[in-house]
Amino acid sequence: MRKILMVLLVAILVIGSFTACTTKADSSAKANAEENKEAGDKKVEKDPNKKAILVVSFGTSYADTRKVTIEACEEKIAKAFPEYDVRRAFTSQIIIDKLKKRDNIIVDNPTEAFTKLRNEGFSKVYVQPLHVINGAEYDDLVNEARVFEEEFDKLVLGRPLLTSIDDYRKVVAALSEEMPERADNEAVVFMGHGTHHDANAAYACLDYVFEDEDEKNVFVGTVEGFPELDTVIKKLEKNNIEKVTLMPLMLVAGDHAQNDMAGDEEDSWKMILKGKGYEVDTILRGLGEFSKIQDLYIEHLKTAIEGETH
Amino acid sequence: MFHKKIAILICTLILVVSLGACTSNNQMVSSKDSQEAVNTEYEISFIDDMGEEIKLKEPCKRIISLYSAHTENLFSLGLDDEIIGVGKSDIYPVAALKKDVYDYKSDPEKVIAAQPDLVLIRPFINRKNPDFVETIKKTGITVVSLYPDSFEKFDDYILKLGKLTGKDERAEELLTEFYQNINNITEKTKDIEQKMTVYFESSENDYRTVTLDSMPAKAIEYAGGINIADDVKPIQEGSSIAPYGIEKILENADKIDVFISQRGVMNAGGNYHSIIIRPGFDAIKAVQNDRVYVINQKIISSPTFRYYKGVREIARMMYPEIFDNIEVYKSDDKITRREMAELIVKFTHKGIYVPTSKYYKKPHKGHTYGFFEDVKWTDKYYDYIETAVMSGYMEGFKEDNKEYFYPNKTVTRDEFAKILYLIGDFKANNKNTKILDLDKAQNQKIIQVLVDNNILECKDGYFKPNEEITCNEAVDILNKIKDIK
Repeated sequence: MRKILMVLLVAILVIGSFTACTTKADSSAKANAEENKEAGDKKVEKDPNKKAILVVSFGTSYADTRKVTIEACEEKIAKAFPEYDVRRAFTSQIIIDKLKKRDNIIVDNPTEAFTKLRNEGFSKVYVQPLHVINGAEYDDLVNEARVFEEEFDKLVLGRPLLTSIDDYRKVVAALSEEMPERADNEAVVFMGHGTHHDANAAYACLDYVFEDEDEKNVFVGTVEGFPELDTVIKKLEKNNIEKVTLMPLMLVAGDHAQNDMAGDEEDSWKMILKGKGYEVDTILRGLGEFSKIQDLYIEHLKTAIEGETH
Repeated sequence: MFHKKIAILICTLILVVSLGACTSNNQMVSSKDSQEAVNTEYEISFIDDMGEEIKLKEPCKRIISLYSAHTENLFSLGLDDEIIGVGKSDIYPVAALKKDVYDYKSDPEKVIAAQPDLVLIRPFINRKNPDFVETIKKTGITVVSLYPDSFEKFDDYILKLGKLTGKDERAEELLTEFYQNINNITEKTKDIEQKMTVYFESSENDYRTVTLDSMPAKAIEYAGGINIADDVKPIQEGSSIAPYGIEKILENADKIDVFISQRGVMNAGGNYHSIIIRPGFDAIKAVQNDRVYVINQKIISSPTFRYYKGVREIARMMYPEIFDNIEVYKSDDKITRREMAELIVKFTHKGIYVPTSKYYKKPHKGHTYGFFEDVKWTDKYYDYIETAVMSGYMEGFKEDNKEYFYPNKTVTRDEFAKILYLIGDFKANNKNTKILDLDKAQNQKIIQVLVDNNILECKDGYFKPNEEITCNEAVDILNKIKDIK
């Protein structure tokens, strides 16, 4: 009896500490705790041959862009790793709830996905986030995964798109294939999300690498971080640019790309640039659509599986 | 009829008295009050939507309004100083932002401490947090619960608000004006032979529409449209939401001329993109002809005077050739900035901008909706000016951290060039027409492109950027770029 009480106490403490230090993952941590209890009762036998890949992204409620970005990445991963069971998780609970309610599409959040994999007896789980930078969402994912560290023989995370300097060079090479040709007075401006997280430096770094790789007149800005659009405009002016093509530096071309970048709104990049006299074109394609970007995620996953990270 | 009402009143009184006798002290007090109501010493006396008898000797002077429609209507009645507090999501008109905020989900003591003489709520709050309401009532503060659950009850609701605040006359004036506005729209569409058929989406979950007696359904009627969902029943009694279903939508695909989705609430209709990509929706006439529109529920489902704007918006969606006809603006007069705003909103067929309660939660770098010092929210150009600026087509001015639009100023050719460039998509063709006075213009790159594209002309090589343009010129040039936008 006393033993049970102790276990209960420890469990409460553990749950308590989770809810205390997570915010977004709050509800999923609770769900996880409940399921933990259930599984604890069952005690599933791990199968050494059962291996899974969990592909994690923020998610999108738009079926068209989801198909060509997230699903395309998942399919390519499944093809590259036929011996693995490939699963999907979204980190946005709002999108998960919306898809369930509206389209009857069930998508797990990472905690639910881990729990299912454990309950199904998987022994090895590799996680590939489709995130662009090693930012707050990636940190959250790491924290969520940590909870399950002991549950699998192997639980390894691949890194986001922009991690090593080599990644930056490869991203530049991948994007150079998708960008329009530019005359001396023409530029391409990428719109990244931007973040309060220190990983925000990735955007300025990418901008730098474009220059270093001699991709002329390519600039990177962000909606919520640095470089801001004003910084980009200074560069456009300095380089006597007259025509700008805007492209999202985001996995999917969702609301941000449609509104903040290309919308008829007073603070959209398109309208601000047009107001300054630039001729503006927009390309509404997410990074996830580009074959070489998909390949880069696969490369990161390979590295994870070969045991070079984490 | 009148006798019947009195009979009901007496019955209610008896009921209240008998109830009061066998329950708490609090209700005893109210029963005593009701007896006195029979004497006519009260100036204000009516039964609110929770069945409570309201009796006041004089109009209220310190009001806390906990529902956005009440707040908006109080401002419409001309009150401001009398409104000492508003609800959490009350953001319209912009003056509501300056008021103290109260929340029916939090401590009623905060409300009590503000010493209001009236707390305006709706039955939803009575149901959600009865303790909150009771605690306030116990202190003797008058709490009035109102909500017109059908459009027929709108007048009665407004008149009650008028009574409570001593604005009876203003309430009647506003109602007359309101119905005149709606009638003007109906008049313009009544002789149209080819009436538009509309599907109105209230929720994208299970493809729900609205009931026939709902405000949006009435709006379609007033605006001269035919509602395809004319045989629906409410999802539950008293609700304005009605199930319709994807099968029926697709069955009528070739009949739906215009698809309108209501946004701005939880579980609302879809947005433009999410609607047009739905499987099977490419068969719908409205999708094929790019006639899918979104409307904010604040102007179509909320019991405020803004409803006529919702009717007007639906009329614009259905009959742009009538309601967005820019030819009617032709005249030799110089065009003002406010007229320009109206002209380009109509030319671009942009729906008027309606902020949601989330809008003010973050700061806005450029213009903030409703912040122009020189454009009142009651101004007839208000929506056009806000929409033109919120869409990025026109600019405001900032001076000492205050925003101005200068609605009466005329528009120079220089300024007009920029507006044209912003609403259209023009490509530089590098003709490089020589413009002798280009250095005198603000928007040099833009003027060069527009002159090269033959949209704007020079006279003897001079563009004359500071010359003012007339309404005629503006309309003619817009007609030129029709195909470019």
